[in-house]
Amino acid sequence: MNAELRMQTGARVFWLKVRRSSVTLLLSAFGLVASWALLNLVIGGQCGSKCVEDTLAQTLRVATPIAFAAFCGVLCERAGVVDIGIEGKMLMSAMVAYGVNLFGFQLFQDGMGPAAAGNLSRWLAVVAAVAVAILLGGLHAVVSIRFKSDQIISGTVINILAIGVTGYMYRSFLSENLPAGPGTFPLAPIPLLSQIPVLGPIFFQQKPLTYIMLLLAFGITWMLFYTQWGLRVRAVGEHPRAADTLGVNVLRTRYINTLVGGAVAGLGGAWFTLEAVDVFSPLMTNGLGFIGLAAMIFGKWNPFGALIGALIFGLGSSVTATISIFRPDIPSQIPQMLPYLLTIIVLTGVVGRAVAPAADGQAYEKG
Amino acid sequence: MANLARNPVSARNRVSPLQRILDLLSMPALALVTAFVLGAVVIFLTSGRLETVGEAYWGLLRGAFLKERGFSESLVAAIPYVFLSLGLALGFKTGLFNIGVEGQFYMGAIAAAWAGQAVQGVPAIIHLPLTLLAGALGGAIWAGIPGYLKAKTGAHEVISTMMMNYVAFRLTEFLISGPLRAPSGSTIQTPRISPGAELWSLWDIPARLADPLNALAVGLGLGFLAWLIARAVSRRGQESGASGQSATSEKAGRAVRNSQFAIRNSPLLIGIAVTIIAFLALPPLTRLWWPFTDQYDRLHLGLVLAVLAAVAVWWLLWKTTIGFELRTVGANPNAARYAGMSITRNVVLGMALSGALAGLAGTVEVVGVSICRCLPLFFSSGYGFDSIAIALLGRNNPFGILASSFLFGAMRNGADLMELSSGVSKYIISLIQALVLLFVAAPAVVRWLYRIKGAARADDAPLTRGWGG
Amino acid sequence: MPPALQAIGITKCFPGVLANDHVDFALAQGEIHALLGENGAGKSTLMNILYGLYQPDEGQITVNGQPVKIVSPHDAIARGIGMVHQHFMLVPPLTVTENIMLGQESLVGATQALGSLAMLNRRAAADRIRTLSQQYGLAVDPDATVGDLPVGAQQRVEIIKALYRSAEILILDEPTAVLTPQEADELFVIMRGMVQQGKSIVFITHKLREVFAVADTISVMRAGAMVGSVKPAQATRELLAEMMVGRAVILAIDKAAAQPGAPVLQTDGLRVLDDRKHVAVDGVSLEVRSGEILGVAGVQGNGQTELAEALTGLRRVAGGNITLNGHDTTHATPRQLVEAGMGHVPEDRHKHGLVLAFPIRDNIVLCTYYRPPNSHGVVLDYPAIERQAEELVRVFDVRTPSIQTTAGSLSGGNQQKVIMARELSRLAGQDGVQTREPPFLIASQPTRGLDVGSIEFIHRRIVEARDRGAAVLLISAELDEIMSLSDRIAVMYKGHVLATVDARAATREQLGLLMAGVTPASGKEDARG
Repeated sequence: MNAELRMQTGARVFWLKVRRSSVTLLLSAFGLVASWALLNLVIGGQCGSKCVEDTLAQTLRVATPIAFAAFCGVLCERAGVVDIGIEGKMLMSAMVAYGVNLFGFQLFQDGMGPAAAGNLSRWLAVVAAVAVAILLGGLHAVVSIRFKSDQIISGTVINILAIGVTGYMYRSFLSENLPAGPGTFPLAPIPLLSQIPVLGPIFFQQKPLTYIMLLLAFGITWMLFYTQWGLRVRAVGEHPRAADTLGVNVLRTRYINTLVGGAVAGLGGAWFTLEAVDVFSPLMTNGLGFIGLAAMIFGKWNPFGALIGALIFGLGSSVTATISIFRPDIPSQIPQMLPYLLTIIVLTGVVGRAVAPAADGQAYEKG
Repeated sequence: MANLARNPVSARNRVSPLQRILDLLSMPALALVTAFVLGAVVIFLTSGRLETVGEAYWGLLRGAFLKERGFSESLVAAIPYVFLSLGLALGFKTGLFNIGVEGQFYMGAIAAAWAGQAVQGVPAIIHLPLTLLAGALGGAIWAGIPGYLKAKTGAHEVISTMMMNYVAFRLTEFLISGPLRAPSGSTIQTPRISPGAELWSLWDIPARLADPLNALAVGLGLGFLAWLIARAVSRRGQESGASGQSATSEKAGRAVRNSQFAIRNSPLLIGIAVTIIAFLALPPLTRLWWPFTDQYDRLHLGLVLAVLAAVAVWWLLWKTTIGFELRTVGANPNAARYAGMSITRNVVLGMALSGALAGLAGTVEVVGVSICRCLPLFFSSGYGFDSIAIALLGRNNPFGILASSFLFGAMRNGADLMELSSGVSKYIISLIQALVLLFVAAPAVVRWLYRIKGAARADDAPLTRGWGG
Repeated sequence: MPPALQAIGITKCFPGVLANDHVDFALAQGEIHALLGENGAGKSTLMNILYGLYQPDEGQITVNGQPVKIVSPHDAIARGIGMVHQHFMLVPPLTVTENIMLGQESLVGATQALGSLAMLNRRAAADRIRTLSQQYGLAVDPDATVGDLPVGAQQRVEIIKALYRSAEILILDEPTAVLTPQEADELFVIMRGMVQQGKSIVFITHKLREVFAVADTISVMRAGAMVGSVKPAQATRELLAEMMVGRAVILAIDKAAAQPGAPVLQTDGLRVLDDRKHVAVDGVSLEVRSGEILGVAGVQGNGQTELAEALTGLRRVAGGNITLNGHDTTHATPRQLVEAGMGHVPEDRHKHGLVLAFPIRDNIVLCTYYRPPNSHGVVLDYPAIERQAEELVRVFDVRTPSIQTTAGSLSGGNQQKVIMARELSRLAGQDGVQTREPPFLIASQPTRGLDVGSIEFIHRRIVEARDRGAAVLLISAELDEIMSLSDRIAVMYKGHVLATVDARAATREQLGLLMAGVTPASGKEDARG
């Protein structure tokens, strides 16, 4: 095919992509403005610019665990493994992070002073959370890949297991007589960048896990579409037999992606007890793992799309909080329903047109 | 391979029934045993003493069956499980994972709590069925909405019903603390339902039957059941009788026609007879002698309803065209479309029926079990996830579900005494249940553990599909 | 000179079937070796073993005379063996370049230290692809998305995929299944070109004609065993057919002349869209009369599937109309069509035709369960259903231990017999429903993947239906089947019916040209599409 023709096709494809993303951008901007008007209607115009900034910053904060959950979903499903157990992984990670943070602090504070000990115990807690989530991810992987169980049921097993174990541990060790802990991660404003008006306080005055989440969005996109591993993952998720005939190890690819996805979910779980609140309560994940799956579908299994989905749900959550503050007369349960209803609406609007990786959810039989 | 034999009856030469039962039971039994063994290992590891295992399981056994009222309490705990698991199983058969049974439970409960006290003084013969209907409708609508969304847009029911769960929790919280709150009293709960809407406790039945309307209701119910049974039996008799029939003379022919008339109309006569007999005889008889006298025994008529529900679900799925369509949509939606079945209608119907059963579970809680005959604010069930394990353990078969519901109900009931007597936390039961689910969902794991050979069987196929539907 | 590739005593057992029984096979250097056999003979299994996808239970493989162990496609590729599968091993959402370099990716040198996370160098791969493309005359566009390519182009991508990996030995599994006769000839030219450049080729087929066109040696397999090898000069079609099947085979069905009556099915300007909203059926007007078989010929992917789905109510009609016995059925549902007397043997028997998990009994009444005698009201009448099922299983010679056996455990041929039993018995009014008007049967790829015995059986049944007065629309990608069964033949190309000819007068060449879009008037490839 001659060069000119190639350039023309390339240019046309590029233009189509730009057009599609500008439509999405316009729609999102419109949605944002519309919900803003609605919000102000409900709270009677009391939300000034500081309130707007705070709400948006809160949006990014709440979006963090949802985005982590969505990224875990992307990693697993791009390789063809459906993971419903993200909620359970996050719950276990949250509990483990809390425990390690608390008891680690007790261990270290005599030796190195409270500030350093607090830092060490918090980061150690992150590592522990990731480790536990990798373990659970490994369980899901073995049951689904090696034993070819139905993947949705296998994920549900992880959820039930997590509820049982965290309930047990909570009752036994974590509900009373607890020593004082070092608390959650402090805000970590990035020098210079946090001074930018408007964007600064929203994006660059956050806690460490949020920054990691943003970096992961870039990282996973790069990995999926620009590296050798990503190409193999995508092939395995769409047509594992084709990849197999070319010598790609389908099962190993699925295992690794499920484990890495688990690690990412562990980061999401750590958020609950290391960045949000300084306490663990049973079932504190509140369905955010499932909302993450919806964000993943919304984002058509692309990390940045999933991030936008997470931001939308985060917005729903933080708007709920804002409404509760300014209108204490509305019973709190009504706005609390918002994020979940929003999820359903978004899900039904998008799913028909979002196509999962073709081999998603099917166990791979060699030969 | 030989063609079929000429005689059609011998073509039904299946494996003997005993063999089939053993076959069906082997995997679930192994799954259970393995789960309990692993549970024992965990108990041993966390307590450090081998004796704790024995104390724990002995406490479990005593609490479930041996202690005073233990057996009936196990039944009481099992009843909501039956309804929820039937709902889940029906969903599974239609290819749907209705993980939202918990939310539908709540909506059924709140609907029943409202219907039970919205009118007062209505006799039980009307009020009780009405309340049950309200609860079923509440659950049906709550499940039907995600069902419709799935049919029309492909939105996966796991996510949408999960979200509906959280909405249901908040909604019921709001309703109980606000519009539906009982005006008097310090605890936040709904008003007490009218006595006419209550589900009778077994010990109370003689007193209830004193009311002629109640006796009539019971009579009609028993008569209806008798009619159904007689009809089924007579139809069996007709088939085997008819195929061998060969009237040789005029007299024999007339006798055959007469007996055929009798056979065809006797079920109705039987039904009417049973109604009248029950109405007249039961009240005085039960006053004279009634086995259940313990006033603290919480076992209630919901038990009968649960068994009836299991039979009804079995009949619906395997004996009717409706069930045939539901199962086809679940097994192969493409073939279902090809066969002219409406996917939308069946998906919505499957979800709605599933939700109705879950709603009935909630209803039974309010009108049969709760001491206050109401729905309190901090009511939590946690029945939902357990039901998944029960449904799968029972192989999505109504009678298997009856058995495994009883097992899980017994475990749940016995867990309190287990904790009291051995110190092992109740959550060990959750762990065991998760393990059971694991082994039932992945038979390959059990086969690997026990080195059982044998290729994967048809029912090892996935119960659910990916996001695309 | 040692053979390029040799299999010695290969035996492979799957549960319940002996797929390869001590098979010996030798591919000489620089030859095109045809491996012939009917469906289920074991040809693909043998080649999959040589390519490392399966492991043999017994036997040995040598490459260039050296014994080798091939445990995975990776090993095969390393030894210079490349395979083009019957069902393409291409990932539709990825580009041609990505598909070709998968597993042997070109990496940006600087990033190679990152191991798996090294960055892809698409440009280098694309350049190499273009070089190969020119060298062997296989035109491909490296940046195109594979899912958008027509089938012929996809096959070229598959071949380049093998050449990219420096394959010296090429295995082609049923490569002409998706090509017109002319495209097949072009492929043979390319194959001879490759052999001239030093490659050795095995080419699997079940079509007798092709082996004479291009093979240097012909080996025949039957029921898992190698029957023998011959040179084309010493073989005749009849000899090969007998080697393939084990008995004398009637190569053409014996049928009486058609006695067509009034039109039963008519379409006028029918327009149907495919899943991606492209026009798949573009203004098709055809007519099927009672007592005749109209065969729709054409390479798969020219709209036949969508046509069949539109006619049977499984796909929405975007324009035009359909008339069945004078009634407008353009927007009829599948159930309404069943009631109107239509029988449909679907293209994909596992997807549409059967519920594999259900017993034969349930599959027999899949379309009629809701009406008497199969059910009364909502209650199913199992004794009646079972009587009907047993009778049909006997009449249609379905080999099964009982009607309670699940459809999934039947062989392909028996599964298709169950479907035919169901659809044809409705036509004959056997389930108690009287159809006053002549019934209509649409059969899509009815003998795909079946053994010769089943094929003969099904062909005979279709002709019987025609002789009973049914109007039959037969859609098939097998030109032999179309020519042997049809009374009239319509050829589809890119959504149009290019021409409708009398079957007795039609020739393979004429049909082949039409299938490639060449209309006799213009003599050039059809400009549309």
